[in-house]
Amino acid sequence: MPLYLSINTIAEITCFVIGLICLFQDKSLLWKSFIAYLFLVCITETAGIYLRVHHTRNYLIYTIYMFFECLMVSTFFYYIYKRYHHKIKLLYSWMALFLVIYLIELYTSHLKSFPSFTATFMSVVFVVASLYFYLLVIKDERFRHLGTYPPFWIVNGILLYYFGSTACNVFYDYLVQNENGIKATLSIRYIIFNLLNVLLYACWSYAFICRYYQRKLSSSSR
Amino acid sequence: MQILSKEVIFLITLTTSIFLIAPIFIIVYVSYYNKKKAKHLEEKEALKKTFELELLKSQFEVQEHTMETIATNLHDNIGQLLSLTSITLSSIKADSAQEGKINAAGELVVRAIQELRQLSRIMSGKELISKNLGHAIAFELDWLKKGTDFQVLFTDNTTRTSPQNSDNELILFRIFQEIINNIIRHAEATKITITIDQTDTTLSLQVKDNGKGFVLEDKLQANDGMGLFNISKRAKMMDGSFSIHSVTGVGTDILVCIPYI
Repeated sequence: MPLYLSINTIAEITCFVIGLICLFQDKSLLWKSFIAYLFLVCITETAGIYLRVHHTRNYLIYTIYMFFECLMVSTFFYYIYKRYHHKIKLLYSWMALFLVIYLIELYTSHLKSFPSFTATFMSVVFVVASLYFYLLVIKDERFRHLGTYPPFWIVNGILLYYFGSTACNVFYDYLVQNENGIKATLSIRYIIFNLLNVLLYACWSYAFICRYYQRKLSSSSR
Repeated sequence: MQILSKEVIFLITLTTSIFLIAPIFIIVYVSYYNKKKAKHLEEKEALKKTFELELLKSQFEVQEHTMETIATNLHDNIGQLLSLTSITLSSIKADSAQEGKINAAGELVVRAIQELRQLSRIMSGKELISKNLGHAIAFELDWLKKGTDFQVLFTDNTTRTSPQNSDNELILFRIFQEIINNIIRHAEATKITITIDQTDTTLSLQVKDNGKGFVLEDKLQANDGMGLFNISKRAKMMDGSFSIHSVTGVGTDILVCIPYI
């Protein structure tokens, strides 16, 4: 059982529980869908550990998960861009482009490796999307208390995670090759992703708490 | 190969560290810029308020000046003409049949002169307020009692006047006139109670009526509260406060409080 309780899983489960408490009664379907997404994250991580423990390669499960990850984060970006009059065509176009690259890479690799190029490409797009969000916040004439603004903290987590994982994604093949013979939990890739996961889920948990208090505040002021 | 691996691992660690520090700087910069934006918006809002107050002050001064001019013209020109008319009428030597009519005309002219003087005094706020606010309000109420059937109760609890506050007293007097006008025009009241109170630092005016009252939110939503809005603005102009409590069918209670040192 302790095998399943790594820094990664603890961060993910904690964020899932916080999300469940804070977002269960949220009126927005998008915010509510974070609960389902984080549940999927926990399931994926547990299944990944299970396969690793049984000496089976687990990249396939993370490959499938990547699609849902892209869908969730992209939909969230669409949701926060919507208030700046961005159209849904942008989301559809990006998802179509992602699917093309994703399927091409899966086809060319014959499903025998993790689609690292797609992951790198997705990371770059999410980093640009995060920076664009900051630009919109700066340009916006309305003032928002960013310290307690939930979308800002979701984007902070996304930026830290995807920008931080760029180096690992770029050297993915090299790192996987050199991990042979090293205990998985001691590999640099594992340590970096642990750190990034903690940062991502800490930011998201904080965003969920802010969202919860905002909802409470708005319902009590009515 | 092992050395190369260590070098690459070091490179990856370094790159990841840089890639983590860079977003932190961006986040800090966005937060800092946002705070500056908040400050800028606060300054803009403060400037807007100052501008509005200045505009209101100017409007008040222009209005006061116009009324002063009209009051002077009424008193000096029309008043003089009426005085001459009165003198002329009294100098006419007519037979007994017409004497009654001439005397009646003379009395009407004398009454017109008195009314005109009272009106010009009410219009000339500075002169009216020169004694104190209580005196000005009492004078206005005398004028009100003549033309209407209101039961008016006025209580003056002030004990001192300070010349440096005469401008504020004048604005408070104009507020009082606005409230009384509103009562006459809309309240359908029979009784008006006016009280002026004073503390070491404040001067307050309270006007109550037993009219039909209204729902404040409805007035504000229907943009039908321009008079109330002006009173509120004028009170703010003097760093004072304005509160209104109205109950439908019972009446309205207005309290204006201004600093008075």
